[in-house]
Amino acid sequence: MKSAPGIASLALAMLALSAAASGGGSAVSVRRVDCSLPALVARARSGSGSAAYRHYLAAQLRELAATWPEQELIDLFDAESDPELVELLGAALAGASDRELDASGLHAVANRAEEDPDPALRAAAVRALRRTTALENTQDLYTCLVQDPSPEVRQEAATNLVEDNRLIYSGHDGPAADAAVAAAVATDDPEIAAQIVAGISTEAVSAPSASGLVGLLGSGEPRLRAAAAGALGGVPASERDAARAALLELFDRDTDLEVREAIVEAVVRLDFAGARPLLARLRVADPRLAGEIDAWTAALALGLQEWSLIVREKQRLTAKQ
Amino acid sequence: MKSTYVLWAATAASILVLSVDADAHYVRAPLNGKVTATKYYSSGAFHGAVDIAGGTCGSTGVNTAMEGTLWWSVTIRTTYKVCYGNGDWHHNEVKHTFSSGWAFRQYHFNKSGYSYSRSCDRCTIGTLGGTGLATGPHAHLQYDKYGTKNTTWWWVSKGQYVYTTQRIGYTP
Repeated sequence: MKSAPGIASLALAMLALSAAASGGGSAVSVRRVDCSLPALVARARSGSGSAAYRHYLAAQLRELAATWPEQELIDLFDAESDPELVELLGAALAGASDRELDASGLHAVANRAEEDPDPALRAAAVRALRRTTALENTQDLYTCLVQDPSPEVRQEAATNLVEDNRLIYSGHDGPAADAAVAAAVATDDPEIAAQIVAGISTEAVSAPSASGLVGLLGSGEPRLRAAAAGALGGVPASERDAARAALLELFDRDTDLEVREAIVEAVVRLDFAGARPLLARLRVADPRLAGEIDAWTAALALGLQEWSLIVREKQRLTAKQ
Repeated sequence: MKSTYVLWAATAASILVLSVDADAHYVRAPLNGKVTATKYYSSGAFHGAVDIAGGTCGSTGVNTAMEGTLWWSVTIRTTYKVCYGNGDWHHNEVKHTFSSGWAFRQYHFNKSGYSYSRSCDRCTIGTLGGTGLATGPHAHLQYDKYGTKNTTWWWVSKGQYVYTTQRIGYTP
């Protein structure tokens, strides 16, 4: 239920130290500023203010949207053609949906992200969906967005997938990770796919997603093969054996150093100290990896039980080499 | 000239208020009510969390307290209405676990049609209740890792009345 716009029209009292302006003393002056939604939009449209001030405006708009009639906001959003305003108003609409007032705002932004003829506006609408519930409430939206003809839109969609997985779900949610993997598999842009799989946690992915990651090991782009190998290192225990087998098969046929280093890291992550015999075998197979594998072996010998600690020690040992 | 200073002061204030890390969150009151306990209970025993009581057991809505869209995991251990406690580890709970391992939890609410896991921003998660170890209906807000409770995240005091529109703390 939304209250009248009058609530949002409450003036915000801003404090300002006016000593310098009044020529000395320590008096504090208070000035009333119109913080209604149209006033905030007008201020945003003027383009004035620092980046921090515009960030402040975005936060204010997002809060105000929860008390503003949604259809008015949707009309404002639909009529807007300035990318920055599209992003601001879209984020406000999506933010109101996340407060569970009405999901139609989120869908209005999602529709524009898919269908606006202007790629700059599509990209702005995608940015507006960042750190919202779009992953949960828009079905296969991101699978479509990563196939957009505009590279800017694809890039924004990849950023959303990575940030949402990291900051909304903190890497623990299987369906969110599955949606990201599905998008990585769907896109024809190997750079975008690599960014996605390198940026998400795969600790809770499903078996089909793990298979999707194995499929990405066959990419023609070394960066994507390396990213997929790294992602397979983090899959759940139920997928560990299949992941290890796929990684070792790739090691045998892929001589790219970046890919092989990623495979080594992934097998360490899959088995921790249990990977040491395998590491010894890989060290013989590719002498270029000797330094890397020695660092991993030394880090594993410390008996640490958390992956982040093992990585930290390995990095410290590598830096000492 | 003076208005320029006003603008700069407002901008500086917004920087102070909004310059937070991507994974940091302000916490708002999950319901309108009075703070009844913070670091210690009245008895002097350690509590390490914020308790807020207000409204009517079984009908006043309880919101997730953190600003920003987050995935909230709901655990329902008691399906019926309880206002004055039904024993340790019977509390209903909603929590978000950050990738750092820190978790923000809210206890004691009664189950409602909104008590299910999902992503949202300050959404209703149940009604005011006293499920679990509670002597009366209230919301318990706790930030912990490996069993250690962080006691530095709130800035409210016992006896203070707080509103859902009000920021009561910050988790870095």
